[in-house]
Amino acid sequence: MKQHRLLVPSKGTDFSHLQPGDKVLLSGVIHTARDQAHQRLVELISRNESLPFDLANTALFYCGPSPTPPGKVCGAIGPTTSSRMDPYTVPLLEQGLKIMIGKGERSADVETAIKKYGALYLVCCGGTSALLAQTVISFDLFAWPELGAEAIYRLEVKDLPCYVAIR
Amino acid sequence: MAKKTIQANEIRELVLDAIGEIFCTAHPETRQLLENALAREKDEIARDMLETILGNHEIAQRESLPLCQDTGLLVVFAELGNGVLIEGGSLRDIIGSAAAEAWDKYYLRDSIAWDPLRRGTNQKGTTLPLILHLEQIPGDELILHFALKGGGSENCSFLKMMLPGAGMRGVEEFVIQSVVESGGRPCPPVMVGVGIGGNFEECAILAKKALMLPSEQKDEELREMEERILDEINKRGKGVMGFAGSTTALKVCILAKPCHIASLPVAVNIDCHAHRVTSRRINVSRETSDDSGATR
Ligand code: SF4
Repeated sequence: MKQHRLLVPSKGTDFSHLQPGDKVLLSGVIHTARDQAHQRLVELISRNESLPFDLANTALFYCGPSPTPPGKVCGAIGPTTSSRMDPYTVPLLEQGLKIMIGKGERSADVETAIKKYGALYLVCCGGTSALLAQTVISFDLFAWPELGAEAIYRLEVKDLPCYVAIR
Repeated sequence: MAKKTIQANEIRELVLDAIGEIFCTAHPETRQLLENALAREKDEIARDMLETILGNHEIAQRESLPLCQDTGLLVVFAELGNGVLIEGGSLRDIIGSAAAEAWDKYYLRDSIAWDPLRRGTNQKGTTLPLILHLEQIPGDELILHFALKGGGSENCSFLKMMLPGAGMRGVEEFVIQSVVESGGRPCPPVMVGVGIGGNFEECAILAKKALMLPSEQKDEELREMEERILDEINKRGKGVMGFAGSTTALKVCILAKPCHIASLPVAVNIDCHAHRVTSRRINVSRETSDDSGATR
């Protein structure tokens, strides 16, 4: 098993050295987005409105964190099932999204689009959220607080352990 | 004979205690099964993931952080003795308000869509919606079985009204395919609950019970069937997180009940390796115990 370090933002980055099954320790600024946030992002795109962040400059983590207990950086964080985001993913890739982190398989359409746009789909080990939380350096509510766990949170991570699934 | 009473507050304390245990503590049997799987597993990536899962158990416990950010829906099977009277509210209200308290106390994630169709609002209630199955049993006890059930694994649930002629082999194939085709979505390695018989809704409840209630398979043929299904899932499955290795399932549990001569209902309910279940018991002598040995 090969291991790589990867920094986000990864604008202009070439992922061709990464092979499916390789382990990746991801560091940098990433944003969470689940079903509701995806729906809103795609609505903004379809209305030609600007997004709350530059997709090319971050990674989307399919994750709805648990609340932060006092004295901790964040609560439990970990991947949710990626296939629920499949219907929204191609428009985001068209807008420059390069890295997605989740769990489970993707649809054939999404897989093709990931390859076409030179993007990267990483799988994170589900149900290991207390351990993953230890890689979070900072954690902030970023957009759409009314969505609760489905809001967008901005995370700075150091060595978040993932595996290359599709590139 | 006068009924013996159990006060709402006793139940409340027990709910807080049970949820406080399972949100951050690995289930002992599941942990053992994961360790066994790691000892057998040859694939390097799968081993790395299993080690991560086991490492998470320790960190969750030490940090009092949830094993998984999806702290689930609360599912409760309640067995209420016919000699017992509950004072201070209905069982649903008592458990629901204690659960809401537990959610705040342990910083669990609010994962409730209050309206299943019109989503996108974050409502908060003083009681938590829960899935409650209440059954009356003879005697002077209240037994509660709890699960924090994640959405990802629950989405991988299957029910089929099979032809009676499908028999054991047909049922086995249906169960195997259900788990294998779920791929990485329910966070394998998984626990598999299978309900056979009853009717449409009862076989689903049996499948959930098979996952949640502690038991030993007493029917020799069903025990062999569980083993065959488990072996075959691990042969055909895609491994840890649907990604690598030969560990897709940890355990298969079957519960069977009589059914109509025209029917063979079969249900499959999957739980992830973050298998958060426990049981508690109150008897009239006011002793509360950790009830891992409860009978069905
Ligand atoms: S399936 Fe289980 S381990 Fe995976 S995200 Fe859901 S609750 Fe967590």
